[in-house]
Amino acid sequence: MLPRLFCMALLLVCAWPAPTLAADADKVLHAVFVAAETGFDPAITRDLYSGRVNRSIFETLYTYDYLARPAKVVPLTAEALPEISDGGKTYTIRLKQGITFYPDPAFGGKRRELSMADYVYSFQRLFDPRLASPHSWLFAGKVVGFDEAAARAKQSGRFDYDEPIAGFELLDRYTLRIHLKQPDFNLSMILAHEPTSAVAREVIEKYRDGMGQAQSNPVGTGPYHLGEWVRGSRIVLDASPEYRDRKWDFAAGADPEDQAIVAAMQGKRIPQVGRIDVRVMLEDQSRWLAFVGKQVDLVELQGPLAPKALLNGKLRPEFVAQGVQLSRIVDPEISYVYWNMQNPVIGGLSKEKIALRRAIAMAYNVQEEIALVWNGEAIPLEYPIPPGIVGHDPGYRSSVRHDPRLANALLDKFGYKKGADGYRILPDGKPLTITYSARADSNGKLQAEIWKKVYDSLGIRMKDNLMPFPDMLKAERQCELMSRNAPWIADYPDGDNFMQLFYGPNTHQNNNGCSQIPEYDRRYAASQKLPDGPERNRLYREMARILEVYAPIRVGYARYRNMLAQPWVIGFKKHPILQEEWLYIDLAKEKK
Amino acid sequence: MTAYILRRLWQMLPTLLGVVVLVFLLFNWVGGDPAYILAGKMSNPEQIANIRKQLGVDEPFWVQLWIFIKQIVSMDFGASWSTGETVSHVLATRLGPSLTVLVPLTILETLLSIGLALGVAYVRGSLTDRMVMIACTVGMSISILVYIIVFQYVLAYQWGLFPVQGWGDSFSENLFHYALLPILIALAVGIAPSLRLFRTFFLDEINQDYVRTARAKGLSEKRILWVHVLRNAAIPIVTHVMSNLPALLIGAFLIERFFSIPGIGREVILAVERSDFPVIKAITIYVAVATMFFNLLTDLMYKALDPRVQLK
Repeated sequence: MLPRLFCMALLLVCAWPAPTLAADADKVLHAVFVAAETGFDPAITRDLYSGRVNRSIFETLYTYDYLARPAKVVPLTAEALPEISDGGKTYTIRLKQGITFYPDPAFGGKRRELSMADYVYSFQRLFDPRLASPHSWLFAGKVVGFDEAAARAKQSGRFDYDEPIAGFELLDRYTLRIHLKQPDFNLSMILAHEPTSAVAREVIEKYRDGMGQAQSNPVGTGPYHLGEWVRGSRIVLDASPEYRDRKWDFAAGADPEDQAIVAAMQGKRIPQVGRIDVRVMLEDQSRWLAFVGKQVDLVELQGPLAPKALLNGKLRPEFVAQGVQLSRIVDPEISYVYWNMQNPVIGGLSKEKIALRRAIAMAYNVQEEIALVWNGEAIPLEYPIPPGIVGHDPGYRSSVRHDPRLANALLDKFGYKKGADGYRILPDGKPLTITYSARADSNGKLQAEIWKKVYDSLGIRMKDNLMPFPDMLKAERQCELMSRNAPWIADYPDGDNFMQLFYGPNTHQNNNGCSQIPEYDRRYAASQKLPDGPERNRLYREMARILEVYAPIRVGYARYRNMLAQPWVIGFKKHPILQEEWLYIDLAKEKK
Repeated sequence: MTAYILRRLWQMLPTLLGVVVLVFLLFNWVGGDPAYILAGKMSNPEQIANIRKQLGVDEPFWVQLWIFIKQIVSMDFGASWSTGETVSHVLATRLGPSLTVLVPLTILETLLSIGLALGVAYVRGSLTDRMVMIACTVGMSISILVYIIVFQYVLAYQWGLFPVQGWGDSFSENLFHYALLPILIALAVGIAPSLRLFRTFFLDEINQDYVRTARAKGLSEKRILWVHVLRNAAIPIVTHVMSNLPALLIGAFLIERFFSIPGIGREVILAVERSDFPVIKAITIYVAVATMFFNLLTDLMYKALDPRVQLK
């Protein structure tokens, strides 16, 4: 009997899952920010670097699979992906139970469990007129009763957080049903966006300033809490011992390197790194010397730094020999040039105006701009939706090619004659001058020079207009700029985030060229009611062709993002949307 | 003396008012509308209008100017538009790192410049004097950016004599570890012009009659230089040093940026990049006031150095 019992006990012990180790306080990741953070209130911060910290402290309902490409939404604090019903108008979301906030005096010494009411409160903050959140667009015009509550708040000057909103139906402490005004198949991505992270009302009310912001006391349910903070200089994140038992569980994608990452990380607890020590280094040389001097573990190769480590897009042999790792992706962005469709010289839908814009689009040499302005660190794009984004079509080929000869012939055909000075005039005899606007910095000057060359090749007079960034944004929103190179990086990894840039009703928002093309707008409105699939992709392809035919824009390029990791960093892979990869990595202490 | 000080303080008011109006007009004219940046990239005109209202930039110019004047009087510049941090906290926390670098630098630069200038004035016209002057001219012709890049690369990275960059928690660690290379660079840049200038002051004095008299009386050359010449050249030296002191309060922009020193200079750059008007205007006003205060202090020191000076 006894040996039998002993064997059973042994079997039970062997079958019991091995405990996975929590974050090791001795594992310190030294990271670098290239710009200073601004603060840690998810409702108000809008810079990349504050967001990176916020995503380590706070949690959204959803996040992205670390390895899947294109980016794939997965649950974070939610039990599962949302149940979508009513043709995309109703989302039912269940929260995992037992998730707690990091202890804080605001909770009166009690353990504070996360509930769906915290998420509703966090969403409401985005519409609080006092906060003036830059993220209110996430829910604007979407949720039943929410815009009306915001309008009332605007009138009274105070958002009533206790007033129920019909569109946020709390079925119980852990279940939220969201009622939308119209179908929206991107809401899960919105709920994975950092401004929708859960904050606790007690914390906000304890620490908020006169504008309602709580930038200095971040308290969330995430894997890290703020340890030390010297503003604009140093941020220390310490692993929260209370963080729930969350396992690294991602499947390898098509990338061959994924297998090694999965082998090294599968089953480990998140996070493994006990402390993240971030230093703000504004200068390229300082960051580079700190990395090659092994003072930092991760560095982003921006601008002039890339050629120091890369040769033809690959790591230089001396760094390969040292075991340095490169993670290189095409950023989920597009850079495009637009021509103001409301401008009397270049805008409009008449044939000669279309011909003028198409000729300029054909004279533009994207490769030259990539080589001169971006050190070759970008790829030309054929499609308005960049790689890595849902809806991208890798087989699509643009009909616009670099062909200055054809461009000149097109202008000749439509009556843009050259005067005695060699410059063209409009078909009605009026002068033709294009004003190209750019930021008043070195890249802006380079871009203006490249465009001067483009216009000279067509015999079109160009005037550059280098402006401070805020002035440029203001003029752009008022449809006052004639032409500019505009970049756009994804807020969420869906084609809709890019196709909305050229939608007529978005004029004075982010339709920078103020284009209103009925054929395009009709298709875009139809695409919004569709989930990702062949039908929506067909509409996107047609819309891309419409952009080529009417030429309100010329699609340009997307830049590479290069991250270098020291040999002792395990499992690092740059994600196109997530910025907090340090949650998913480990450090080999013995190699350091 | 008291009447003089009171009169000078009274005279500062119109100067300060001029600075206030100039700063206000300049930043409202060329600073751009911050609401377009703060609103984020997916904003509509209504949101931008709301942010302008929150910041108070939708008010008429004269109302904004009046608010600005009230802020100066109450010494409460509100909070940063970008970070929400109060401006007084920005100044209080960033001043320390700047002074940790710049106070030792000013003391070292002044003492070394005086010592070296006296030395070369003593051997004026010799090969040593000429070589030092050539070295100073070459040193002055090179941009500070070159000094920073080369020194940081060679001394910190290649030879490992100093940290490449960084800033710690304790004063002693910062002063004796992180601030050494920034001080050395600023010294290399700043010493040449001071040395040349002080040498000129000393040479002017060396040719005076009282020096000849002192020599005739048999005083040693050292005593003539270190006591008589130095004392008589003190007024222009003090003027030069005091006029540089307000610069201490705005830090060393490039040095703080390259060496990741969280000082005032770096904060000014960040504020300009973010169109953070409350921080920029507070620092500008504060430097203007400091400049006026140091000018007054310089005048008072003239009297202490040379009793013949009459303060009227």
